[in-house]
Amino acid sequence: MTLPGENLLGQIRGVYLSRATDGDILRRKVASGGAVTAMLLYALEKNLVDGVVAAKRTRGLAGEPVVARTREELLETAGNSWNIVPFEEMIKARIEEEGLKRVAVVCLPCQAQLFGQMREFPLLEADLSCRVRYVVSLFCRGIFVFGAFINHLQIRYGIRGEEITNVRLGEGHLIIQRGREELVIPLREVFPYLQTGCLICSDYTGVWSDVSAGSVEREPGWTLLITRNRRGEKLVRGAEREGYLELRDGFHVLEDVLRGAKNKLERARENMKRLL
Amino acid sequence: MRIVEKLRVLHVDVGGCEGCSVSIMRAYPRLMERIDLDISYLRNGDPKHDRYDVALITGGVCMNEPRIAEELREVREKAGVIVAFGSCSALGGILRFCRGGQTPRPDHRNFQPINSVIYVDYSIPGCPPTPQMLQSFFRYFMEGKETRLRLFRVTAGVKKLSGFDLIDDVVLTGLCVGCGACELSCPTCAIKLVDKRPTLIPERCIRCGTCYVRCPRASQILLGGVKK
Ligand SMILES: Cc1cc2nc3c(=O)[nH]c(=O)nc-3n(C[C@H](O)[C@H](O)[C@H](O)COP(=O)(O)OP(=O)(O)OC[C@H]3O[C@@H](n4cnc5c(N)ncnc54)[C@H](O)[C@@H]3O)c2cc1C
Ligand code: SF4
Ligand code: SF4
Ligand code: SF4
Repeated sequence: MTLPGENLLGQIRGVYLSRATDGDILRRKVASGGAVTAMLLYALEKNLVDGVVAAKRTRGLAGEPVVARTREELLETAGNSWNIVPFEEMIKARIEEEGLKRVAVVCLPCQAQLFGQMREFPLLEADLSCRVRYVVSLFCRGIFVFGAFINHLQIRYGIRGEEITNVRLGEGHLIIQRGREELVIPLREVFPYLQTGCLICSDYTGVWSDVSAGSVEREPGWTLLITRNRRGEKLVRGAEREGYLELRDGFHVLEDVLRGAKNKLERARENMKRLL
Repeated sequence: MRIVEKLRVLHVDVGGCEGCSVSIMRAYPRLMERIDLDISYLRNGDPKHDRYDVALITGGVCMNEPRIAEELREVREKAGVIVAFGSCSALGGILRFCRGGQTPRPDHRNFQPINSVIYVDYSIPGCPPTPQMLQSFFRYFMEGKETRLRLFRVTAGVKKLSGFDLIDDVVLTGLCVGCGACELSCPTCAIKLVDKRPTLIPERCIRCGTCYVRCPRASQILLGGVKK
């Protein structure tokens, strides 16, 4: 069966709205339904992987790459980091030093391309290919040039980077939290602070992943999961079976995702004309 | 019982370090069911057939050795599809450093990728590419999944990719997003991310092209046909 937009969204096996069942997870600043954390916790606790490469928020908007091996370490990675977290040599060294044989990686679509390609087309003996068991990609519209975005917030709203306690994404806006205050900024206003390279990126959902995760405005508090192959499907279903995830069908909101993907592709096409 | 025709594959080495040839041999046990590989290690004398479905070429061409160019043209005639396997064959690779004057072959001064001599269908960089890479290639090739192989198809159209091209085309043009794919892909650790942007240690770069095809932006430049 070919679904509408399958080309744009990549291969699709299942579409679910999903939420963590674990109160411990939901109490964190999860990005949407905490499903990513819950699913990975399942993989870790049921011994499907022996480590998870993810991003841990440091302060404000930024995060750093970590290898989580326990429940507590994984829970600390819940929520979004709004910078690109490069999984470079240091992470590879840690995976090798600690002898991790099966890892799951959470990443952005551009990085899912790397991990997906590494797995399918290992060009180098030193590739991590055989160690990457699951690739989970978040949806992505772009990453800020940090300094520039923080400057803007400070000049226009008087908010300093380190005061920001959380950032959430709505369909047309970004919600910035400082303590109990919430600032809602239209996405149009923040787009100029995106990285130029992100403006030509055409992949919204992470077509190289096993499972992609994002959110849609009309289902707040839920994570939208797209599984792309048997491996991804088994991960999501397994997490549901073992009680880590609550799942319901999500096909009815796929059109919202498609809209996001179309917009991103159009933006990329437009910018490629000028930039390449 | 239906007898399924195996894909006829010829291997030809035109001058490399044998690393790529060994990689092909290592890939073969898992490919045997589907392909019939004609490789010099496994036969005495000349190639077995007149026609092949695919020829895997390893090594670069010394431009002052007409015999090699001639041999390549003959293989092109014989094979339906030509795959440049490994960085030397695909992109020149480390052979680009040859400047001659050394024993036993002081005449080896100028090596080029094989697409300087013949039309190539797919180029697979890697120094050497892994056996699994070749297995994946044949899997997608035999299933007709051309979109998965598009990156290798377009790479066949360029002659040089290196860390220098990456810096020029992606970093200096401001297109780098700081994802770290290049650093993670470089076999010689020639790339280090400093302040989230790659820096190249020039003398370490062996011109294998891996970073370029792995970079999300550079691969897009390739796929878009914009790479000069
Ligand atoms: C920069 C960015 C842009 C996004 N843009 C969109 C969008 O446009 N549309 C949309 O629908 N969704 C987008 N998302 C995804 C969405 O915000 C949620 O992350 C997703 O719905 C998963 O929610 P969750 O509650 O299940 O995740 P959680 O359970 O909170 O887990 C999030 C996981 O993602 C990891 N992570 C967080 N940030 C990063 C990062 N920068 N790099 C690598 N891993 C990270 C964490 O370590 C954690 O494992 C974006 C996410 C990010 C980080
Ligand atoms: S927009 Fe594309 S390049 Fe930029 S961070 Fe997201 S996936 Fe990566
Ligand atoms: S920088 Fe590294 S990966 Fe890139 S071409 Fe040079 S050696 Fe190869
Ligand atoms: S792979 Fe490309 S986009 Fe990613 S850090 Fe390297 S040069 Fe930048």
